[in-house]
Amino acid sequence: MRLTEDDLYRTSTQYKHWSFTPSQLAAQRRTTNIQASERVKAAVARQRAQRSLLDASASESERAGSGVENGGDTPVRVDKEVNCLTVTEEKRLVDVFCARALDLGKFLKFPTEVTATGIQFLRRFYLFNSPMTYEPQTISPCAMFVANKVENHGLPLERYVAVLPNMTTDKVLAPEYLLVQGLRFNFQVRHPFNGLKGGHLEMIEMARGNANLLPNAEKTKEQLQQEMLQLPRKPNGPAQSLSVAQLEKRIENAYGFASIVLKGPAQLTDAYFLYTPSQIWFTAHLLADEPLTLFYLSAKVPTSPIHSKIISTLRSCADLLSSHSSYTTDQISKEEKVAREKKEKEEVSALIKKAKHCRDPDKIDLVKLNLAQKRDAVAGGSLEESKAKRRKLEREGYQKESDDFWGPELKKANGAKVA
Amino acid sequence: MSKPAHRAGGAPKAAVDSDICPVCKSSRYLNPNMKFLVNPECYHKMCESCVDRIFSHGPAPCPIAGCKRTLRKMRFREQTFEDLKVEREVDIRRRVAKVFNKREEDFETLKDYNDYLETVEEVTWNLILKIDVEATERRLRQFEEAQKAELNPNVARRETQSDSSAPSDASRVVLKKGATQRKALSASSGNTPNPYSSQDGTEDTGFTFRGLKKRTAPEPQKPFDPYSGWSVEPQFYILQDDYNVEWLTQSKNDIQHLAGGYNIKDFYSQALCEAFSGFGVFIEDEIVARDRQVSGDETLATQMAATAGTGAKDVRMDDVF
Ligand SMILES: [Zn+2]
Ligand SMILES: [Zn+2]
Repeated sequence: MRLTEDDLYRTSTQYKHWSFTPSQLAAQRRTTNIQASERVKAAVARQRAQRSLLDASASESERAGSGVENGGDTPVRVDKEVNCLTVTEEKRLVDVFCARALDLGKFLKFPTEVTATGIQFLRRFYLFNSPMTYEPQTISPCAMFVANKVENHGLPLERYVAVLPNMTTDKVLAPEYLLVQGLRFNFQVRHPFNGLKGGHLEMIEMARGNANLLPNAEKTKEQLQQEMLQLPRKPNGPAQSLSVAQLEKRIENAYGFASIVLKGPAQLTDAYFLYTPSQIWFTAHLLADEPLTLFYLSAKVPTSPIHSKIISTLRSCADLLSSHSSYTTDQISKEEKVAREKKEKEEVSALIKKAKHCRDPDKIDLVKLNLAQKRDAVAGGSLEESKAKRRKLEREGYQKESDDFWGPELKKANGAKVA
Repeated sequence: MSKPAHRAGGAPKAAVDSDICPVCKSSRYLNPNMKFLVNPECYHKMCESCVDRIFSHGPAPCPIAGCKRTLRKMRFREQTFEDLKVEREVDIRRRVAKVFNKREEDFETLKDYNDYLETVEEVTWNLILKIDVEATERRLRQFEEAQKAELNPNVARRETQSDSSAPSDASRVVLKKGATQRKALSASSGNTPNPYSSQDGTEDTGFTFRGLKKRTAPEPQKPFDPYSGWSVEPQFYILQDDYNVEWLTQSKNDIQHLAGGYNIKDFYSQALCEAFSGFGVFIEDEIVARDRQVSGDETLATQMAATAGTGAKDVRMDDVF
């Protein structure tokens, strides 16, 4: 029973649950959007009905009373139809917060994998949940923290919270279970970074003329090396004759550029949903040095039917990656860049403002909701207090009962430190 | 063996007889705790203290007049049945049943099985009635050895190799017997050919039964394979022993990495595997094909949920809040 590398990938959750065709992806986003907006509208309508009821009774019973509490923390006060986010706006919002997460990772000096995993968690979560229901502002610190744990980086929560402004441990932990469930407990994200390193190693060896060849290879090592030295710089360009050292330099440059693409555009687009990590790093390398990558590819898959298929897949992935705004930033003039950034900033702040107005009122305070799920929750103020007291008494009763039966808890030795 | 039968003349005499040790003549009347023991070699009764006295220093001949069998203390025991004849028969039957442990399903036909049972009964009665005991015993032992050899051919081979100096089957059996008997037997069977060893050179198994299915030894256990037969065979690359790039030299020679048991080759194999893992997986084709296989139920469910809209709960997962 033999497995190929592809079979290994097919066993991953990334392939099983988090790979989609473009149309599936769009359909899922549409579904999520419809469900979320219906929910928001229903919740807002319910709240308004409640408030008008309250207002009516208040005005009748205590006409003198001026300061009636009428849902002070509800964001929707204007009685007009809720203007929900569209699918495109939702996606844009998520993209914005993914970009911010990237900056957050840089700020925290997280390794590339940690940041990338956090971003993918966000993208996966918002595929089935709408930013209208759960604000990205609250989810993204949590996603980064979970990624930090998943990728074994091990930054403690206290230090993590201390670094971020306006952050408490509760705020980070409150959406944790929600997020993890939204990820369907699939924690592993397969990244293209290591694959790029592997490909780079092989290309270097090939340039030196001692790469191991596949059994069905048509050329010898030396032939490969010679052809590689003569590769044109640009597609359809004139042939070159580089020295081995120059060729190695070229491969290293390509690696550097490709890894920038992987850390930026590859993270901020849907690439992970639509392509496999192996195809993504190949694409990044293709964008970096096309003749070199195509040559390497043909050495691997010499003109079999899958060769053309791979090329077309890589091309479409390349279109996706190069279409992202972060890909082209260094190719345009400075004024243009500034203007574009300014325009983007305005758009984004308008979008966030709009998102604020169509928040699901039931899901605003996640910390409180999370607390309410736990025991001794005093969510409703004084009314709940008697309940909490009763629960506490009950618990003490159980404790006493079990102590009578099993004997009391062992006393800790004096002076033993409780960490 | 016939003695107890002879003595059982009358009830009162038998009662008195069983209360007096035939060796030391002490009676139970004086020692209520006295216990009588027998040895399955000759089934002569004697009291516990006599056994201790006579056999504590090793095997000794039976003290009963006319019986010269060598007895060992270890094999003395209390008798289970009042009648020593029954006691002996039970012992013999147990021993024979241990060797002839075939069942009906071991035979081709029912008739073969019945023939086998017939033979077994014949052997048993030969032993009980002391007809042809020597030969029967030997055949029994040969059969037992043959059975063992059939189950475990390695043991048989090992034994025949070590026994090359003593080729006859009988002499091997003799080794287990007492020294005096061994001498006597080797003297007697020294030059007489074994009547049961077959002439054509094939090994004599004591008994042969028609229709007895050949037993096959169970397969020897294979070394444990944690991957239960699965292996990874890359199709796009062949791993090299070493890759020389600048950015790896530091970790390659890092004493901390080495001390921790980190092997740079693991990095190579992982990096190369990840480089091509999913290379030939075309999501667009495969996912569609897969989903079509899963059947349309799921897509239908999501469509319904989308139209239902206010259905509040997600279809795919419960909302925790
Ligand atoms: Zn005695
Ligand atoms: Zn005796």
